[in-house]
Amino acid sequence: MATAETVDKLRTEALKAHYARLQRWGFAWALWTAILWGAWYVPGTALWYEKPYVDIPADQMGMRLAATAVMTWIHAIMVFAFLLLWNGALGKIADYGRTLVRFRRISKWYALASLCGGPLAIFGSYMAMGFVGPVFAAVTSLFYPVIGAVVARLWYKERITGRAALGMAIIIMGGIAIYGPSLFGELDISSNHVWLGYVGGIMSALGWGLEGAVAARAIDVSDPDAGIQCRFSFEVLFWGILILPFLALFTQFPIGTLVVDTLTHGRAMLWIVLASACHAYCYTSFYKSFTLIGVGRGEAIGNLYAIFALIFIAMFTLQLPEWYFIIGLVLTVLGSFVMFSEPAESVAQLRDTDTGPKTP
Amino acid sequence: MKLHQKGFLLVELNSSAGLWDEELIARTLREYGRSGDYWENTIRIALDELAAAGVITRLQSQLTTIRGKSMLTFFYAVTEFGKTRMMDTGLLTETTR
Repeated sequence: MATAETVDKLRTEALKAHYARLQRWGFAWALWTAILWGAWYVPGTALWYEKPYVDIPADQMGMRLAATAVMTWIHAIMVFAFLLLWNGALGKIADYGRTLVRFRRISKWYALASLCGGPLAIFGSYMAMGFVGPVFAAVTSLFYPVIGAVVARLWYKERITGRAALGMAIIIMGGIAIYGPSLFGELDISSNHVWLGYVGGIMSALGWGLEGAVAARAIDVSDPDAGIQCRFSFEVLFWGILILPFLALFTQFPIGTLVVDTLTHGRAMLWIVLASACHAYCYTSFYKSFTLIGVGRGEAIGNLYAIFALIFIAMFTLQLPEWYFIIGLVLTVLGSFVMFSEPAESVAQLRDTDTGPKTP
Repeated sequence: MKLHQKGFLLVELNSSAGLWDEELIARTLREYGRSGDYWENTIRIALDELAAAGVITRLQSQLTTIRGKSMLTFFYAVTEFGKTRMMDTGLLTETTR
């Protein structure tokens, strides 16, 4: 018969294994976010090479932004459909409905998260791409985990250890090493509208950073799978009921024609379906990682998309990245390991809150 | 309409000084008419997420044999932060606190 001491030792070991398993799952979900986000860039970019989008000249910024609004809406509808499949398979559709109806207290946070990650971040990113350049847009987006971690810290005391902050900084430096050198060829301060690009860059980092912190408010008391579907329900409504009708009524952009042309062009729809599949499960993994490792760590590991995007693009275009990609790769992998090396017990309790007696 | 699952877990947990996860799982399965390993595990994951967020805390743990398998079970309670979060989200009113 086992002595009390043996039982206690076994229990302590089981606890350690339990916390390590939670930490591993949290980082695995965050890594899936990065992989699927990177994969998304292939169909996401290919879409611009198909009709009706390929016919829009690069210098027609207004028209390109209107086209972005149309494709984002159709994309969001498809993401919603993929999430419906996901939650249907998990048996969580009823939980989605029960979460969505509690708008005043819970799902409003998902609505706000969709505004931050949708119109604010995506539009900001396209402004940065259009008025400065795509590399600038990619570099500014890399800073979103800093915004997310700072807001989560100030708003609900998310614990950001020294090691987590160091890992985050190394991952961001890795991203800059990948994209930074091209930035010098891209910056043209003589342009009159360049400031719009800078504003766009700030908007994208703020938007994606805030999205995590805002969504975590609701994920605290609701299921992340149901939550992500709430978030996309609101995104579909924002674009479909507010933004697109506004653009159609008050501007000269042919919104209706763009919608019909997108839906009737098979190749454009194929890319949208593929992009939506990546995006749906990328976001699901993103929200699930927040629940286990926190917003700051989840977003920082999500930043590895910079690596995966280049790998997937190289796989499909057979164009190898520049040599400095290796420096970026080493730094981002190193940063991830620094984060993962935190004791699992410290990750098991993400907030500096009054939780009464210590976790056993 | 029934509460969403995590809301139900919090309300049940807050109705007493604390509960073992086995009891919470039994109540939740009864509430939503579910059964089986998948749903049990889903509820355990939800409890892990709530504990990571600091909304609930693990006050005790023990190794038990469930269906022939040695498993960790936890005694959970809602934290002060959890109560504040429950009030923010309408799961708890000042009078029922």
